[in-house]
Amino acid sequence: MPMETKTLIGKDVPRTDGRAKATGQAIYADDIKLPGMLYGKLLRSPLPHARILSIDTRRAAAMPGVRCVITGQDIPRVTYGNWRLFPGTQDEYALAMDKVRFIGDEVAAVAAVDRETAQAAIEQIYVEYEELPGVFDVDASLATGAPVVHDTSPTNISIDRKIAYGDIEAGFAASDYVREDTFTVHAVSHAYMEPCACVAQSDLDGRITLWTSTQTPYIVQCLLASTMNMRENDIRVIKPAVGGGFGGKMELRPWEFCAAFMARKTGRPVKFTLTREEELAFGRRRHPMTIHSKVGFKNDGTLVAKDLHIYLDGGAYNAMGPTATFLSGNFGAMLYRYPSYRYLGEHVYTNKPPASAMRGFGAPQTLFAAETQMNIAAEELGIDPIQIRLKNAMVSGDELPGVATISSCGFVESLKEVRRISGWSRKRKNLKTGRGVGIGCYSFISGGVFNWFNTQYPFSAAEVRAFDDGTVHLLSMASDIGQGSDTVLKQILAETLGLKMEDIRLTAADTAMTPQADLGTWGSRVTLMAGNAVLDAANKIKERLAGAVSARYNLNVIFDIEFADGRVYAAGKPDRGMTFGEAVAFVQKTQRGEPLVARGSYTPRGKGLVSPAFSFGAQVAEVTVDTDTGQIQVEKMWTAHDCGTVLNPMAVEGQLEGSVQMGLGYALSEQFVMDGGKTLNTTFLDYKMPNAADMPPGESVCIDTFEPEGPMGAKEAGEGLASPTAPAIAEAVFHATGYRCKDLPITPEKVLKGLGKL
Amino acid sequence: MPAAQFDYIAPTTVDEAVAALVNGGKDTRVMAGGTDLIVKIRHRMLFPTCIVNLKRIAGLDAISVDKKNGLTIGATALLADVAANKGIRRHYPTVAEAAGATANVQVRNMGTVVGNLCNASPSADNAPTLMAMGATVDIAGPSGGRSMPLDQFFQGPGVTALETGEIVIAVRVPPPPAGSGTAYHSLSQRGKLDCSAVGVGTMIVLNDDQCTDARIIVGACAPVPMRTRAAEKMLIGKRMTDTLIRQAAQTASEETSPITDVRASASYRWKMVAVLAIRALTDARQMALRKSTSK
Repeated sequence: MPMETKTLIGKDVPRTDGRAKATGQAIYADDIKLPGMLYGKLLRSPLPHARILSIDTRRAAAMPGVRCVITGQDIPRVTYGNWRLFPGTQDEYALAMDKVRFIGDEVAAVAAVDRETAQAAIEQIYVEYEELPGVFDVDASLATGAPVVHDTSPTNISIDRKIAYGDIEAGFAASDYVREDTFTVHAVSHAYMEPCACVAQSDLDGRITLWTSTQTPYIVQCLLASTMNMRENDIRVIKPAVGGGFGGKMELRPWEFCAAFMARKTGRPVKFTLTREEELAFGRRRHPMTIHSKVGFKNDGTLVAKDLHIYLDGGAYNAMGPTATFLSGNFGAMLYRYPSYRYLGEHVYTNKPPASAMRGFGAPQTLFAAETQMNIAAEELGIDPIQIRLKNAMVSGDELPGVATISSCGFVESLKEVRRISGWSRKRKNLKTGRGVGIGCYSFISGGVFNWFNTQYPFSAAEVRAFDDGTVHLLSMASDIGQGSDTVLKQILAETLGLKMEDIRLTAADTAMTPQADLGTWGSRVTLMAGNAVLDAANKIKERLAGAVSARYNLNVIFDIEFADGRVYAAGKPDRGMTFGEAVAFVQKTQRGEPLVARGSYTPRGKGLVSPAFSFGAQVAEVTVDTDTGQIQVEKMWTAHDCGTVLNPMAVEGQLEGSVQMGLGYALSEQFVMDGGKTLNTTFLDYKMPNAADMPPGESVCIDTFEPEGPMGAKEAGEGLASPTAPAIAEAVFHATGYRCKDLPITPEKVLKGLGKL
Repeated sequence: MPAAQFDYIAPTTVDEAVAALVNGGKDTRVMAGGTDLIVKIRHRMLFPTCIVNLKRIAGLDAISVDKKNGLTIGATALLADVAANKGIRRHYPTVAEAAGATANVQVRNMGTVVGNLCNASPSADNAPTLMAMGATVDIAGPSGGRSMPLDQFFQGPGVTALETGEIVIAVRVPPPPAGSGTAYHSLSQRGKLDCSAVGVGTMIVLNDDQCTDARIIVGACAPVPMRTRAAEKMLIGKRMTDTLIRQAAQTASEETSPITDVRASASYRWKMVAVLAIRALTDARQMALRKSTSK
């Protein structure tokens, strides 16, 4: 890359929505109030598995203030699911038709003049169930003669995925050391700060506008259209400010359907707002998995073969489980060079709240297993854990046969940097009981390539409208759900056009107003894909403006045209140029008033099946373990990671800190306490998410790499870091105590049992 | 959840509050900080018809530390004020620590020590230390005032000895005896800001190195914060050696009857009572020795 001076890229540009959020002025879905608006409430199944024999809604419907009551019998019999490319995987109805499959499955909905009436009406709906035996874990679900959750999947396995390359049998035969382990990981909550909410309005033509707390307005638009038997263009989905998603808000949800359906039926807007208890008891979760992993090494630590078999406990519906099944196989082969590799992933139905996408999308689970096994192998082969990783680390240009090519990779540098900043070599020699350090690593995708939604549009798109007052209007369907992508997209555009942040007006995530289309916020795709679309549109604008300046000053065609400080001018001759606004006016004149508008798009092509780019990183945790109580105190975290060009260091740091907080909960304290299909801890008092006081101090280094496929060299920065924290802490606990955890979370009770004290 | 419907009364004297309670009937609830009450209403665990807020009663938030009469904490004194009070920190440090370890900053700025006691949760962080120090509660009611030792106040989870129309107006702690030491240790799965899964509070009195009095109270391991009297007996009249502390802690553990719930298993709680009792007794002994040497 030529040396360029950047004014906004690589700078700590504050979030453009920061002030509005800090002062309470940002509008979230639940803040929206429309004239005549009704309040919706869902009746949910109290049983984990049952046939619905009858539903009596007469008393509820007759209550004063109740405007609408609906059940499965009132709605189109159309299933939905995100894997539209494979309709057989679409296994959900907005309201249960004849069976309920988990405690919380939506059975009926009410719209009433206020929340109190809606709640009272819900309690007046009588459902007669025939209870069926349920299955609550993978073993029970796969047992012979087990109850069948969906008739379409008699084995309870809804989908599987296989990957195989290299000669695995020969690989194990040639190994000096073969290690086989089974790891189990648990479900955790996204615990986004904003519980789900939506408001639907039907206009005089019967078209629907839906404001909803979502990560994927386009997916919601399409699936709402199909489930309502409407045309896509008759549905408008608007994403207001969203208080986090982490994968939990990327599907069509029953309340969105019910709000739209009842708004159409009543002619009045309908709002749904979920409670935290509903979110924790019935909401989407991270997949629990049972992971069987067999790896073969040479005595010198060289990896030879890996055989990975994963059961994903999917809960009652597929949700985003197929993608997690697909991706887990890829994450299992990342980070290191595996000459031979075999993967079988099986997605299993159980009578529990559905698991779905959650920050890491299969990686936190698979990498906990892979990284812990790597640490075990290092221990048994007598090699330092960082040394064994360096020996096998992926590098730029590596290929996963038939799957992906790694175009940029700063993994080796990450390992060396984290070793340096953490004082690893010195700390690893400390054998004082109760204190230890451990390492975990990650690799992650920058958006997905596989088009399971079967979109007919580009993966991301942008429109830029330039004005003669020196401002531009950016339109993009990309969804900022709190991660800061609005700020980053504006940075990319402002930097490219030589404008200031405040020169850019942004309209985002409104399916009727922004260019078709964008697949949404998941898989760390927004910066790379929407960023590339913005860059594409911006470059088209630049081309036009450069032409204007070239014509106005009669420049030799070899001149470069610079865009900086709100001006457009010949490189090296600043006087031969004009303001950005003047240049726009010039172009507009040449078009006899037609505005200067450009569209850009991005769809990954020729990048394999998985992702256009991969990020890498390594993390070291230092812990103190109280060997009498089993309590673990994380003293410090060190991180070195490669996310390509750092577009906004402050935003990357925020992502890192959030990841550590989430990883800490996953490793140590968060879990659902279940009694069969019933979730017992449904408040933050008993769902133990770490809070500010629990956060350890940290230190981090960003490795300088340039991703050719990313906008200005950038790639994923928000999601991969959800993975290394748990294996790093688990290894540190082993280093401190000799207790090796293969079954998350690492609770005090497990530590004491592991030490033979309980 | 839908908003509950109830009357709200904010009296300015204790007599008015008592009258409001008597008139309101059995579904009337007293509120100080509301940090437990409002949550229970929102979660539809309580359906009060009337709420009587004590916070407008002048002087009820008083904290006084007196050499002769000991410590008095008024019914509406905030957890945060108790935790920060200089006199309490100097003369009743464990009382301040327990208040400071209750819940989080927001709750401590709204909630009260007396409210924490009246909520009668077996895991209430303030109960063990206050019980160990021989605290009593002052009660106002329709038939006048009375007071009662705190260790008779708790009857079961969420249940106290209060009769209809009665209000706790203060908790009193006698002056710490010469040679006494106190400590409170608690733990939970989440490191900080959490509801305790186990807590142990203690006060011991040393004469030279002889233990002349001891109280050990265990939280969250029985329907009420409980005294482990057999363990206390083992200490009294003896030299408080490490071995004796370990034996007494083991006995304390055996006296409790913890259950398995979402916060911890029974077997873990049993084990932890012993661990925390060792730590609390050791700290209390150290405080007692430090006080006697600094005389």
